[in-house]
Amino acid sequence: MIAENTQTQMRKGILEYCVLSIISRGEIYASDIIAELRTAKLLVVEGTLYPLLTRLKNNGLLSYNWVESTSGPPRKYYTLTEDGRGILSQLDQTWQELAYAVGISQKGANS
Amino acid sequence: MEKTIIINIGNTIIHIEESAYERLKAYLNEVKHYFANHADDLEIVTDIENRIAELLTEQLEEQKKQVVDSTNVNAVIAQMGRVQDFDTVEEGEEEPVINSTYQHQYVEKKLYRDMDDRVIAGVCAGIAHFVNADPKWIRLATLLISFAGGFGILVYAILWIIMPKAKSRIERMEMKGEPANLQGFQKNLDEELQAVKERLGEVNKHAQPIFARLGIFIGEFFEWLGRFISGTGKVIFKVIAGFIIVFGVLFLLTLIISTAAFQGFWDASIYEYFPFSIINEGNRGAILFGAFIVCFVPVLALVLFSIRVAFNKQAINKTLSFALLIIWLAGVAVTGYQAAKISSEFKQHAELTQTTDLKAYPVYTINIDKSKYFSKEDSVAYHIDANNRHQIVVDDFEDGPFVSPNHIRIDINKSETGTTRLTQKYESQGKTFQSALQNAQNISYNYIVKDSELIFSPRFQLRKGTIWRNQEVRLNLEIPVGTRLILKQDAYRYVNNYWTWDCNNRENDHNDYSVWIMTDDGLKCVAQLKEEALKKEKLEQELRDLDHLQQDKPNDTLYQDSVSNRIKEVKEELGIEPEQ
Repeated sequence: MIAENTQTQMRKGILEYCVLSIISRGEIYASDIIAELRTAKLLVVEGTLYPLLTRLKNNGLLSYNWVESTSGPPRKYYTLTEDGRGILSQLDQTWQELAYAVGISQKGANS
Repeated sequence: MEKTIIINIGNTIIHIEESAYERLKAYLNEVKHYFANHADDLEIVTDIENRIAELLTEQLEEQKKQVVDSTNVNAVIAQMGRVQDFDTVEEGEEEPVINSTYQHQYVEKKLYRDMDDRVIAGVCAGIAHFVNADPKWIRLATLLISFAGGFGILVYAILWIIMPKAKSRIERMEMKGEPANLQGFQKNLDEELQAVKERLGEVNKHAQPIFARLGIFIGEFFEWLGRFISGTGKVIFKVIAGFIIVFGVLFLLTLIISTAAFQGFWDASIYEYFPFSIINEGNRGAILFGAFIVCFVPVLALVLFSIRVAFNKQAINKTLSFALLIIWLAGVAVTGYQAAKISSEFKQHAELTQTTDLKAYPVYTINIDKSKYFSKEDSVAYHIDANNRHQIVVDDFEDGPFVSPNHIRIDINKSETGTTRLTQKYESQGKTFQSALQNAQNISYNYIVKDSELIFSPRFQLRKGTIWRNQEVRLNLEIPVGTRLILKQDAYRYVNNYWTWDCNNRENDHNDYSVWIMTDDGLKCVAQLKEEALKKEKLEQELRDLDHLQQDKPNDTLYQDSVSNRIKEVKEELGIEPEQ
């Protein structure tokens, strides 16, 4: 139970960072984001993604364009805004620090 | 085959099977509930709906199908994830908080009729869900108030009309108050009652819905009746059938035994008693057999039918039942033929009279002797020793269904010739006049004349072997005018033409006789005559007194008027014509 809680906390932060990273590579559709996350073995259900995307968009990190689709309704394709890029670079740095911290913690400073 | 629904989801038209629709609807409701408190709930839900529409469309294209089924919906839900899975990812501070307003908005328990757990129309079960009780207590309460002048039945019928059926899964969930992943809550009873009231108001407001609802009600009522008859009713029929089988078999056994008994006592005295004495000796076998079949076959058929109802088994095949029908018809024919034959023997009427002149006495006594008198051959047949004076057979038969109608009748008339004469008239029916006369001659009847006392036997007998053909004995006693007659009380009921019970001696009620006198106007009760004479004497005395009174106070008109009025009244009572 404790492990689960910690895992959840870890994933939450990382998920947001990963999503921003995926979108930073170019305009992308929500289900493609999911597909990439699956490939990356960061398993989430699609339902989780929509609130996240909406929140990021409302925070000004993302914007989207409507694109006509051959199957079904028009799709929202997301891109990063300037703010988003700024935040992402901050997060990149944070991630580096965290990875370092984790590495040090696991192996010791001298190895 | 399944019903298909057309839905518009994410601006896309999709054909979907009903069960799949229910599933999808439930899922979307869960999702909506989940994001209800979210700042951007509308946008998120729209995104999700759009995605679902897209996924469904893709699946249809892939599988080359027209209609979405449950498998498709399940696949979509698996991909989108359950609401429970959302929890683990979203950030703590934005986790939807379930507050009370939210509950009322979405998780309201609703009053529906529970068609899955119903006895009649699911009303009680629906109420039970609503108040969180065991349906059986609600049912018990309904039953109890049904006994209070049928009030419960009325309430039930009204609720049946008002409460809608819980048809869909959502409705059933609402009825049970168990929408997905939502915790227990406090039910706001007043609010729901208000809703019911509103519904009732709506029903009253619009004629159309109430007719529609009445239609539903009537339809469901008959549906229930059908189910009752084929369900509970079946059990009742089976119980009745069981009773019929038991009693029918008992009856059949009794019938067999009694028929055998009749057959066995072929020469037994039972045929001397009414109504068996109607039957000719030669026809007894045929009639017995016919009557047996006429009674036996229908009861047997009833038992066989009951066996079929009770055990769902054909007890006999068609050929056999057809044969039974033929046998029964034959029995009816035989019995009918015999009955017609017997009734034809009542066609002719004959009577035989015998007149005896009696010695003249001023007073005669009529008495009834209940001892049985036998003809000589009957005495021999019944082994009665005529010389043994102490052996008296008393006929104490009372009237009853099996007692032959063999009472005598006595008529008392005025003698025109001046001699006392007793006429015995024997009557009978028969097939021909000859046989009717023969039947009349076979009547054995005795009376005794002891000086002035006439002792009659109350009944006549038929000589042994004589069949009953409505034989009658009438006695006509003619006595001259002025002759007195003492009637013993035992004889009253046999006297035909006078209401003898009226003539009880009033001064002495305990007398067991009454005294009569023959007058020109027929027989008169002496006690009554005496009373009338006494009354007449009194009136005449009063008349004489009144005559004297009339001579007083000649000038007082009021006095004179009242006296002459009274004179008029008395004269009227005496039968004196008023003077002109």
